[in-house]
Amino acid sequence: MKKKKNRLGIKRQLFILAFLAPTIIAFCMFYLYPIITVLATSFCKWDYTNIQAPQFFGFANLFENYKYIFDTYPYFWEALGNSLSWALLGVVLQIPVATLIALAFSRKGRSVKIIRNIFIIPNMISSAALGMIFLQLYNPSYGIVNPVIRIFKEGFTDNILLLKGPAFWAMTFSYIFFTGTTTLMILGNIMAVPEEIKEAAKLDGASGWKADLYITIPMIKDTLRTVSILSATSGFLLYNEVFFLTKGAAGTYSISYVIRELAITSPRAQFGRANSVASIQILVGMAIIFAINLGYGAVGRRRLKKGGSL
Amino acid sequence: MKKKLISMLLAAALGVTLLAGCGGDDKKDGQDTPPATEDGGDTQEPADVEEPPAETGDQEVLEFYHGYYHDESEWPAAKVMRDLYDEFAAQHADGPVVFKPIAVENRDDIVSTEVAGGSFPDMVDCGVAVPLAAISQNLVYDMKPFIDENGLQAAVGLNYTQNDVDGKIYSVHDQMESRGMWYNSKILEAAGVKPEDLNTWDGFAQAMEKVRGIGDGSYGYAAGQGSFIMMNAYMASTEEGRAVMEADLTPESIESEAFANAFKTIAKLDQENGSDHTVDDLGLVMDDFNKAGTMAVLPNGVWNASGIDEGLVDVIEPMIFPGNVSLSSAGAGLTIANNMSEAKTELALEFVRYMTSKEVAEKIFTGVQANPCNTEVDLNALAESSGNPATIKLAKACTMVNEAGTICESVAFIWGSDVTAAIQNALKECAVSGADIDARFEQLKQELTAIIG
Repeated sequence: MKKKKNRLGIKRQLFILAFLAPTIIAFCMFYLYPIITVLATSFCKWDYTNIQAPQFFGFANLFENYKYIFDTYPYFWEALGNSLSWALLGVVLQIPVATLIALAFSRKGRSVKIIRNIFIIPNMISSAALGMIFLQLYNPSYGIVNPVIRIFKEGFTDNILLLKGPAFWAMTFSYIFFTGTTTLMILGNIMAVPEEIKEAAKLDGASGWKADLYITIPMIKDTLRTVSILSATSGFLLYNEVFFLTKGAAGTYSISYVIRELAITSPRAQFGRANSVASIQILVGMAIIFAINLGYGAVGRRRLKKGGSL
Repeated sequence: MKKKLISMLLAAALGVTLLAGCGGDDKKDGQDTPPATEDGGDTQEPADVEEPPAETGDQEVLEFYHGYYHDESEWPAAKVMRDLYDEFAAQHADGPVVFKPIAVENRDDIVSTEVAGGSFPDMVDCGVAVPLAAISQNLVYDMKPFIDENGLQAAVGLNYTQNDVDGKIYSVHDQMESRGMWYNSKILEAAGVKPEDLNTWDGFAQAMEKVRGIGDGSYGYAAGQGSFIMMNAYMASTEEGRAVMEADLTPESIESEAFANAFKTIAKLDQENGSDHTVDDLGLVMDDFNKAGTMAVLPNGVWNASGIDEGLVDVIEPMIFPGNVSLSSAGAGLTIANNMSEAKTELALEFVRYMTSKEVAEKIFTGVQANPCNTEVDLNALAESSGNPATIKLAKACTMVNEAGTICESVAFIWGSDVTAAIQNALKECAVSGADIDARFEQLKQELTAIIG
């Protein structure tokens, strides 16, 4: 009897494995293998001299590429700082904006549906096209930004994309308010909050922004966590905006742009060094995801302590 | 039991789907590819297409990637080049190898990707220098023996010396990247500047100041990409500068006085010119010069002749850089893979001969409005016979560039695109009013030392 049970158990395991196998194989081929390759070759000399055969540095010089990136390469720290800032801004600026818009869209009104559809249109424009559009907006000769600045600072003629500091913000504003997908994801979740909970809140005297703050937002916390991760990682991986707007000038390098510079722009095809930056990108990206999860977890626990919902 | 069967079938289906997705297309490449048309019709394919087939029936196919993908209405010269390629294809349609020109927007990306994978496309009209990785892997064909054996030195012109890499020639460009400056005589006149005032860098600086003083919206020149070109020309005006330019960038050349002087002089000019006239790509402000007539000087190639508006053709004139300097670079150009069959290599070399021939050079000059590499063509006579004012300007520009006291290759082709990008970014940042040029130059030196490290 026990033997038969065991056999059934093994068969069950095999069935599960059979179903999982295609996904596991695909994961290993298309995710795991490239990640391992990136990590492994980051410890190798791999450039135009040995493009087909990366050469392991050996344990004595294991971190040669990392040493170059950390100590010598001029744009790494600037790029890391910028990419982290864009990741942070995604969470503290993009998500609150998207949440506010989603809350506004969740109100019942005659024109809300039309506005919602109009709002999503910019999402159909590629970031490359947006980059070109913003290049025109920031053009000091005929763009609309310089005349606005001139209201506050007379005689301002400089190119804002070449000013250290303002260039970073000009680039940030070129993408951060395009929150269409994030807004829709949050909105979908807001719509899924059960009516009876909203009504119960109303009976308890919570309506308007109070209901949003104490009922709706806690109820959509998991979605907020997801979109925060998406927003932070896309900010951390920013590339197109740098390429189209500044090419890294005025302190606007990003990690992704640095990888391209090393691997593609450099005539010496420095793949090993590029992969060491990519490895750092993967590790920091994971740390960002972990930190966001930790943050949301801490907020949830605090609310629970106060007697609220998770 | 039934459930178990369905589960097994589903699992098998998933597995098969995955394998089908991963499996390569083992259909014989080339079976459905049309050969080049006999009538020279357009055989171009859209950009970013799947790699085309390698064989057509019994014939091999020589794939040739080039960057003339533009519609005729966008850039007529692109059509002229495509017609030249198609003519060659038609001439060899019955041979053992079919010549297949493929217009793409990303030819250099195609090259980078293939080289990274250890291969090289059959033939490419490279836009940037042949990657060192391609040379180190022996992926590209050395054309020097072919040029020498066939006495094509004059036909390939500057390619013979500038594209010589340790005694080997991997690329031949059918047209030169010849650069000087163009000026608007009407603006200069309004500013009280004579063209000869621009013969020295001091004179140039004073002239630009006078242009800014006009106050009718006219401005000096297009900085950014233009500044990098000017910095090249400034360096080329001294012997020390030329020595720095002709070799790979080294810590010594970064510390050289010639490099510092060139950077700081041009950066100062840029700052006075204003960051509002600083662009990554000259193409963004070409209309200011060629159509609106608001830019006094355009540091650009001789090919700008074709873009001048009819209404401005009488006031726009070519000149060379201050200090009697011009920049003429063979650049990259036609590059052949090293591992092809004998027949394909033969056709590829024949194509190089064709593209550098006198007949094609004349078409490149009159139709594409570019400076052909072939030195045996009488450009002025051709221009006069064409009667086209733009072609006459082009001939004048080419002659000036070709006869300049100093002709140098742009360092963009020698120092590499990462170094070029770093210098260009530094120059752009210096164009901002109040920027500390000395401090930015010190930073640039550190950047360049690290980049070449």
